[in-house]
Amino acid sequence: MHDQRDPIESIARELRRPVQVSVSLDDRIMGEVRQLPHYGRLKLWLRLTTPRTITITPLRVGLAAAALAMFAILGAAHVGNDIWRVATPIATAMFPSIKKPAPNQRVQFVLVAPDAKKVSVVGDFNGWDVAHAGYQAQHRGGGVWSVTAPVPVGHHRYSFVVDDSVWVADPTAPRVIDNDYGMPNSAIVVSEQQK
Amino acid sequence: MSVVRRALIGPLVLILFSQAAAAQDPRLAARLDKPTLGSVRAIVDSARVAGLPTAPLVDKALEGSAKGSDGGNITSAVHQLYLRMGSAKRAIGPTATADEIKSASDALDAGVSARDLARLRSASGKRPLTMPLAVLSDLIGRKVPVATATDLVIQLAKSGLNDPEFALFQRNVRADIDRGADPTVAATTRARGLVLRTGSETKPAE
Repeated sequence: MHDQRDPIESIARELRRPVQVSVSLDDRIMGEVRQLPHYGRLKLWLRLTTPRTITITPLRVGLAAAALAMFAILGAAHVGNDIWRVATPIATAMFPSIKKPAPNQRVQFVLVAPDAKKVSVVGDFNGWDVAHAGYQAQHRGGGVWSVTAPVPVGHHRYSFVVDDSVWVADPTAPRVIDNDYGMPNSAIVVSEQQK
Repeated sequence: MSVVRRALIGPLVLILFSQAAAAQDPRLAARLDKPTLGSVRAIVDSARVAGLPTAPLVDKALEGSAKGSDGGNITSAVHQLYLRMGSAKRAIGPTATADEIKSASDALDAGVSARDLARLRSASGKRPLTMPLAVLSDLIGRKVPVATATDLVIQLAKSGLNDPEFALFQRNVRADIDRGADPTVAATTRARGLVLRTGSETKPAE
C-alpha cells in the first residue's frame, strides 16, 4: 500500500509546490500581443455583425429613457427655432401637446398711393426681398394698391416699397420704431384664426 | 463605451450638427459682403449658444441689406438686436417664445425699460405678450409718452384683455389720433373705457 501511494504523493507534492513566475512575464506577453498585426476594421465589422447577449438592467433602461427625454425636451424648447426640424418629431411624439408650426395665413396689404408706378410689400416673412413675386401689389384703381399674400403665424415687421425706392410704413398697422436703419416699419401679429 | 454614454452623446451630436447647419443661411451669403457675413454669423452663433432665437438676427441683416445700409451699420444693428433680445428674455422669462422675445426687443428699442417688461409679464399671467407688446410699441411710435403707454398696457393686461381686444384698442387710438386727437388723451380715454367695461378701474399715468 505504502509503495503504491508514494508516486501519487510525490505528484501531489509537485503540484502543491508554489510556482515561481518571473515578474516580467506579464510585460513580455503583452509586448508580444501588441506586436501582432491589427485588424481594426475587421474587428469593428465582427463587433457589428456578431450576435451578442445584451444585459438590460432597469437602471440602464431608465438612464436611456432619461437621455431620450432630455433630447425631446430640448426639441420642445426650440420649437419655432432653428433646430425644431431635428428634435420636434421626437418631442411631438413624446409630448403630444406640442403643436407643429402653424401654416401660413393669407393677409391682405393695402396702400393708397395715387402717384405710384409700383408697390411691393417687404418684411421678415419674405426675406425683405423687394423683387419677391408673391408680394407685388396690384393697382385696383383710384390709387389703391393691394396684395393678398401668405404670412406665417407670429409677429412680423414689414413695410411697403413704392417704385423700388421709397419705404412707406403701413398707415393702418402698428408702427415699429426703427433706430437701426432709419426707415419706417410696421408690425403685424398673425394669429391662427386670422383670415 | 457604455450604452448610456452613447444614448447621451448621440442626441447631443445631432443637436450640435443641426445648429451648425442652421447657421449657414444661404440668403445671408447672397446679400452680404464677406466681412459683414462673418460678423453676422458670429453674432448668430452667439445667440444660438445663449438660447435666443436666431431668425430675427438674420432678418435684421437682410432688412439692412434691402434698405441699402453698409456692412458696419448692418453688423451694429444685428449686434444691438442680439443684446436687446438677451435683455428681453431675461425680463420676460426663460419660457418666452421667439415672437415674445422679438416684440419685447422692439419695445426695448422704443424706450420701455426691462423692469416694465417684467411688470407686463407679471400682469399678463400666462397669456401671450406678443400683441400687448406690439400695441405698446405702436403707442410710443404715435407719441404717447413711454411711461403712460406702459402703464396703460399693463392696466389693460391686468384687466384680462385678449389679443383681438388689444388690436381693437390700437385701431381706435390710431383713428382718434388720425382725426386730430392728442395721442395721450386718446390712448388714456380708450384704455379707461375698456378697463371700466371689464370691471376693474385703472389709474393711467398723467
